[in-house]
Amino acid sequence: MQTRSWLAGAALVAALAMPIQAYAQKAGGTLRVYHRDTPPSASIHEEATTSTNMPFMSVYNNLVMFDQNIPKNGLETIVPDLAESWSWDDGKTKLTFKLRDGVKWHDGKPFTSADVKCTWDMLLGVSTTKMRKNPRKDWYWNLKGVSVNGANEATFELGQPQPSFLALLASGYSPVYPCHVAPKDMRTNPIGTGPFKFVELKQNESIKLVKNQDYWKEGRPYLDAIDWTIIKSRSTRILAFIADEFDLTFTTDVSIPLMKDVAAQAPHAICEKVPTGVSTNLIVNREAAPFDNEDVRKAMNLAINRDEFITILSEGEYQKGGAMLPPPGGGWGMSAEMLATVPGYGDKPTEIAQAQALMQAAGFGPDKRLAAKVSTRNIAIYRDPAVILIDQLKSIYIDAELEVVETSNWHAKVARKDYQIGLNLTGVGVDDPDVNFFENYGCGSQRNYTGYCNQEIQDLFVKQSGMTDQAERLKLVQQIDKKLQEDVARPLIFHGVNATCYQPRLKGFSQMVNSSYNGWRFEDAWLDN
Amino acid sequence: MGSYIVRRFFLMLITLIGMSIVIFALLRLVPGNIADILFDSAGFVDPSEKAALEEELGLSDPIYVQYWDWIWGMMHGDLGYSYVSERPTIDEIAPRIPITAKLAVLALFFSVVMGVPLGVISAVKQNTPIDYALRVLSLSGLSLPSFWLALLILMAFVHWFGTIPIYTSPPDTLWDELLLYSIPAAAVGFRSSALIMRLTRSSMLEVMRQDYIRTARAKGASDSTVNYSHALSNAILPVITIIGIEAAFLIGGLIVTETVFNIPGVARFIVEAIQWRDYPIVQNLVMFIAVIVVVTNFLVDLLYVALDPRIKYE
Amino acid sequence: MTKIVNHSVELAKAGAGVESRLGKAWFMARTYPLGAIGLLLFLGLVFCGLFADLLAPMDPVTTSAASSLAAPGGIHALGADMMGRDMLSRIIHGARISLAVGVGSTIIGCFFGVILGLASGYLLGWFDLITQRFIDIMQALPLLVMALVMAAALGPSLENTVIAISIPLIPHVARVIRSNTLSLREMPFVEAAKAIGMSESRIALKHVLPNTLAPLIVLATAQLGSAILTEASLSFLGLGIPEPHPSWGRMLSESAAEYVRAAPWLVIFPGIAISLAVFGANLLGDAVRDILDPRQRS
Repeated sequence: MQTRSWLAGAALVAALAMPIQAYAQKAGGTLRVYHRDTPPSASIHEEATTSTNMPFMSVYNNLVMFDQNIPKNGLETIVPDLAESWSWDDGKTKLTFKLRDGVKWHDGKPFTSADVKCTWDMLLGVSTTKMRKNPRKDWYWNLKGVSVNGANEATFELGQPQPSFLALLASGYSPVYPCHVAPKDMRTNPIGTGPFKFVELKQNESIKLVKNQDYWKEGRPYLDAIDWTIIKSRSTRILAFIADEFDLTFTTDVSIPLMKDVAAQAPHAICEKVPTGVSTNLIVNREAAPFDNEDVRKAMNLAINRDEFITILSEGEYQKGGAMLPPPGGGWGMSAEMLATVPGYGDKPTEIAQAQALMQAAGFGPDKRLAAKVSTRNIAIYRDPAVILIDQLKSIYIDAELEVVETSNWHAKVARKDYQIGLNLTGVGVDDPDVNFFENYGCGSQRNYTGYCNQEIQDLFVKQSGMTDQAERLKLVQQIDKKLQEDVARPLIFHGVNATCYQPRLKGFSQMVNSSYNGWRFEDAWLDN
Repeated sequence: MGSYIVRRFFLMLITLIGMSIVIFALLRLVPGNIADILFDSAGFVDPSEKAALEEELGLSDPIYVQYWDWIWGMMHGDLGYSYVSERPTIDEIAPRIPITAKLAVLALFFSVVMGVPLGVISAVKQNTPIDYALRVLSLSGLSLPSFWLALLILMAFVHWFGTIPIYTSPPDTLWDELLLYSIPAAAVGFRSSALIMRLTRSSMLEVMRQDYIRTARAKGASDSTVNYSHALSNAILPVITIIGIEAAFLIGGLIVTETVFNIPGVARFIVEAIQWRDYPIVQNLVMFIAVIVVVTNFLVDLLYVALDPRIKYE
Repeated sequence: MTKIVNHSVELAKAGAGVESRLGKAWFMARTYPLGAIGLLLFLGLVFCGLFADLLAPMDPVTTSAASSLAAPGGIHALGADMMGRDMLSRIIHGARISLAVGVGSTIIGCFFGVILGLASGYLLGWFDLITQRFIDIMQALPLLVMALVMAAALGPSLENTVIAISIPLIPHVARVIRSNTLSLREMPFVEAAKAIGMSESRIALKHVLPNTLAPLIVLATAQLGSAILTEASLSFLGLGIPEPHPSWGRMLSESAAEYVRAAPWLVIFPGIAISLAVFGANLLGDAVRDILDPRQRS
């Protein structure tokens, strides 16, 4: 197996990005991919999981998108999609898109600027058509509305300048929906303008897409079809990949120990280690005694031995970091030097002694231990770190018991604050502070589970969002991130790194290193059979 | 006898109605509903959107209204819509039934062709090393967790043959289908075969002690004639009734096997539907299984009355 | 189930001429060699379960980065799992859980099953009709499906898993006890007791109950193994006993299966533990049946 580290991979793909057209791409063939579970629906706007994103992103188009051949998403990698070009007004609050002409929906109806308006009206909650769920409402806190000028021009009006707004629109989470199709049909039988048409979704079995013969981009896609097979058991699906049943695994499905297994059994397969874009963190109920005491929360953060988690769960591959994905994959995270100055990331014996002192001040000690519960979802990637956490908390006189919660009850339980300590996973759709800060730490955000709200910090969120000098913005973002860690808002344990594997015959496909949500258009992918 | 059948038939109907109430109530006792599940993938629960969703799915109706809607629909051939896929329940369930049925039949076939002959041999060679070896074999069949066995089989296949006998796409020919299902069926059938072998053995032993067998022997019939034509044909009846019941119960063993071999049958589907709180799917599937089991029991009971005059029915 | 057995007579016959208890035990072991092996295996399980704290070399839930996926040998005789927990210690502590699940659910299931079956078979009439329907309803679902719904309804914990597994046993036990009771009612000695004016409840308790003990013990020992297996299946499907309890089924499931080729000991040792425990319980069950139910004695 060729194990490419994602950094080397990044350089490699960047080098290949230019001459990629020089290859003789072969058209035809069916791409076979395995999927880890049945997607909750095919409607990307209604879901917040890569289970929906990965298979269905290729059914749709965005206004703009992250260049599919450059692994590190950033403002500078944004390229046109349904919009041929875009421009900001002088006040930097009006973003106008010039739309492509002659694009047709999969049902043959023409795509116009009205579809753009419909989509964002629905996301803003101002249209009459309502989705069942609108998980990314918080992304558009700064969007005032969309206006159209003829069939080929749409303008987004913002409350204040927000350079990263374009990054939100470039995400795989931001497709354009047709006005004329009801939300229910988008969930079960989606209509897009993308390179592949939806054929069927069979629960527990498969998802089938076929080539859109009338795709607006000349000569694309190369593939005739994409077949997704749903296999819930991870050991079974990895075995199936080893047995060459699939061209590609589900994104970041192959853990580091498993990657070695693939290496031994399928020497030709290519496995790329990339950050998953999902962090494992602690949520502490600030309303339940004694966790309303800030010292107890700080002690817990100090007691977490992050290196041990990383060694056990990933043989050292996971990354330490603050709220933002750490470099070099992430564009906004704190440097290693800066991170070392953050509480919880220093010398462990010293920090544990500090934590013990804090606990003793709060009235606990070796003879008066605190009995607590660590709640988490009944899924291995949640349970395994929770077991390690419980073990580590013993050092600061906390005897915690694990409470596993079924998926169906987890968010309801967290929402009604019926927990003490929770072990949580947070996925971030776009590696940008405008997404992460507002979604997970913003006052009143639905996904800010702990209810952390610091007005001073909130003002800084807004301030960084409006900054046009990206170097200055980076400095501020890192300071905010450090402050979030010092406030023990949602202590980070680690950022995940896993592998995605594919057979060498799959070409014209590159993995994103700072998001697992944005690289699945598949229009350039081809099979060298 | 006739009135007994009529009575028994009505009791069967009562059982099914009771079953529908039990499963309906039980499902609603399970914490969390589909609205929670659907919001899970969005990463939060919005109370007003959740309430709207419950309203849309009829979950906010009084419980007896929901129950009546289900029964009324069922009597009119309308099983409702799956909450998750938003497709008609019947379209979700119907294509999966033949898959599980084929698997079950094949598993049963394996268990019978393995279990009955080995049981007969074990009984005929009673208390010999062969008997002991077979009994230990059958007991180990009952002792291995079936998912463990299935996993070991999968790993062995990948290791030695470089292929994996799991379901990835519907088979094209009957032969492919047979190949695809035979390995999981054997994994499940191994356990049932152990059960059938033990029953065949004890049933044979009992018959062989009966007077008419001794008479046949005394009359000079050869050992094989006695063993195979007299004893086996009499011993097989209780075995057949057990096979009938076992068929309905195979579905339990199929749940884990369908999971490991990734077969899209009803057994695994029911587990997923429970986890998704997809009431229309679970209710109707469980009722379907219940009907099969209850009808089988009904037929078995009738058989008992016909066979065993000792049992009195007032 | 029409044969009436006097156990003491049968046992005396079996051990004819042997006086000392040890001698009797030796005689039984020679007569039922497989049963003796089963008993030994089962006693081993009980022993591990009772003295797990003393026997286990390490704490079964302590994680260790240094020992992650350690191979068997050295301080970890049977290796360590991904989180560096000692497999030997986990398997020894797992015996306690399997024992609790096996014995606990069998006792609960038998207790309610016997009450229902005895009352139903003896009282007949309306009571019988209603319990029979109830039993039919519970039996109309495969055991694992029933246990799955129960486990989902109750939530994952040790106690709830025991209850979830015991409930499907109730109709099974009740059915056997009822049919046994039905045939006993027709027996001359019960009719005789009736004739001399004994009260119904006394007859049920003094004559019928003792004679249903044999099939009950047979059934209970047979259920022991299947309860342990059901727990393993539930845990495999993610609905059984939660982490960090060292349940054998959980140890075999999901994450362990993933690392099977990198660390085969994760799958082999717990698998062997389950199989041996269930095998022992089954051997014991067979021997008990042979002793108490001589109709089927080999």
